[in-house]
Amino acid sequence: MGHPFGATLSLLTAALVAVPAGPLLAISTTPTVEKDQATLQARGGGGGGGGGRGGGGRGGGGGRMQGGGGGSRARTGFSGGGNFTRGDRKPSGGFSSGDRLNRVNNPSISRPASRPDGLQRQGQGLQRQDGGRSLGDRSGALVDRNQPFDRQNTFNQGDRMINRDGDRTLNRQGNRTFNRDGDRNWNGNLGNRSVNIDRDWNREVNIGDINLNPGWARPGWGVARPWNWGWYGGWNTPSWGWWGASAAAWGIGTLATAAIINDAVNDAVSQNVTYIVVPNTGYELQYGTIQPYGNYSVSFVVTANGTSYQINADCNAGAINGRQPSSAQEAELLNAACQVAYGNAA
Amino acid sequence: MKPLPTLQKAIPFFNMSTPWAAALLTGTALSLTLGSGGVRAEVLYTLETKCALKGAAPVACKVEAVNEEGSTLYRHTIGTTTHTLRISDQPARFSLWDGGSKSWQNIRNATVLFSSNTLCLNDKDLCVVNPNYLNSLLQDRPDFRGRDLIQAHFGGNGRVDILCYDGGCDLVAQRKGVK
Repeated sequence: MGHPFGATLSLLTAALVAVPAGPLLAISTTPTVEKDQATLQARGGGGGGGGGRGGGGRGGGGGRMQGGGGGSRARTGFSGGGNFTRGDRKPSGGFSSGDRLNRVNNPSISRPASRPDGLQRQGQGLQRQDGGRSLGDRSGALVDRNQPFDRQNTFNQGDRMINRDGDRTLNRQGNRTFNRDGDRNWNGNLGNRSVNIDRDWNREVNIGDINLNPGWARPGWGVARPWNWGWYGGWNTPSWGWWGASAAAWGIGTLATAAIINDAVNDAVSQNVTYIVVPNTGYELQYGTIQPYGNYSVSFVVTANGTSYQINADCNAGAINGRQPSSAQEAELLNAACQVAYGNAA
Repeated sequence: MKPLPTLQKAIPFFNMSTPWAAALLTGTALSLTLGSGGVRAEVLYTLETKCALKGAAPVACKVEAVNEEGSTLYRHTIGTTTHTLRISDQPARFSLWDGGSKSWQNIRNATVLFSSNTLCLNDKDLCVVNPNYLNSLLQDRPDFRGRDLIQAHFGGNGRVDILCYDGGCDLVAQRKGVK
């Protein structure tokens, strides 16, 4: 015991033995600590996955792909010997209680004749979806960045789809409120889509530090969402007061429908893309970051002009960061986030 | 005005205003000590969902997931009947409690279909919509991302013999006659 480390170890051991804390407390808290660590490890893994996004840069489609989902434990992989895991780790977003049975589909392991939407297209990689136009282009003809930008043709493609959904004026009117609030940034590189960044978007985040791939963000995400609660859980056409009248005041005939937003998420999930381009905006909603809180609010991360921001929205009051949307684009963002959080989705 | 949550607060584990955070605390409080051996069981969650037995029509059921040392138990309660699945990993083993023999019986196969949030055991002997398990599975195994159908076939010793994905499972089914 002549070694000073040995003496220190002895003192620590003696101190631990002498601590009179209730053993029951010690026993009951130990698993929580373990679970904390597990959760944090999972999130740390998510960040590591972010490394695959090319350092968070915007230079090219591959840079936005998810890095294998992150959140992996060291024992995962074939070397672990187990292929299915036991499900003892709390995934991002938590566990559902499933207290709304009407949202639960019937159990089935029968695959549809065609794979879930978009799964066949994974080999295509990620194409940049400028200004939400690709949301209207269900034909799969996305913008080819290697070709001269054909504005007329591309916009026509978007209009055709939007017309099918009855939103004839969406693209044409989407810019009317542009810059109304003295937005700091203007970026004309996204076709004719401006990107509003309001002054109160002041909580920049590094999406490389966030798990963008929670377990629920996958085919069947509507049921997989861990939360099955909320003041208006489940709607197709929102009944919120602000949805109609205010939307008109914001200069748009109507907001994107639930179907359009759900399709965007479905496509993003199937193509392993962590965001959707909010219809008629240049915003990239990182749908995997959506987290409801309270009874009708939601927080999420949105990327605009290459910077990501933490945003809060009140889906009942129609508020974003505690105020009315300052532009049509913000209204669309609010609408999209609330739909993904609380809207009907299979 | 309610203070706006920070990013850290938005992370559900730290957000005490979210129900799952509360549920976690509740779950911790519900941690039980079973027996004198100190084997602990922790209720991870209870899930109101749907189950189907042997291909019959789906019915409402309740799933209780209980974490034990080395394995997780999934109690599927349909009416007055409970079917308990035990999953252990390292290596992965699935077994069902047989009330008749009062023993755990290894299953033949387990199937996951992500798009329907379904887990089925022994072909369609017991199917359940359990997004929680699938969420956990996907986060533990990010390489599963992008797959829809995953099927594990177990050997007589309970170990995984074959793991197939999507179209590969059709080939396995042809060989093994699994419906």
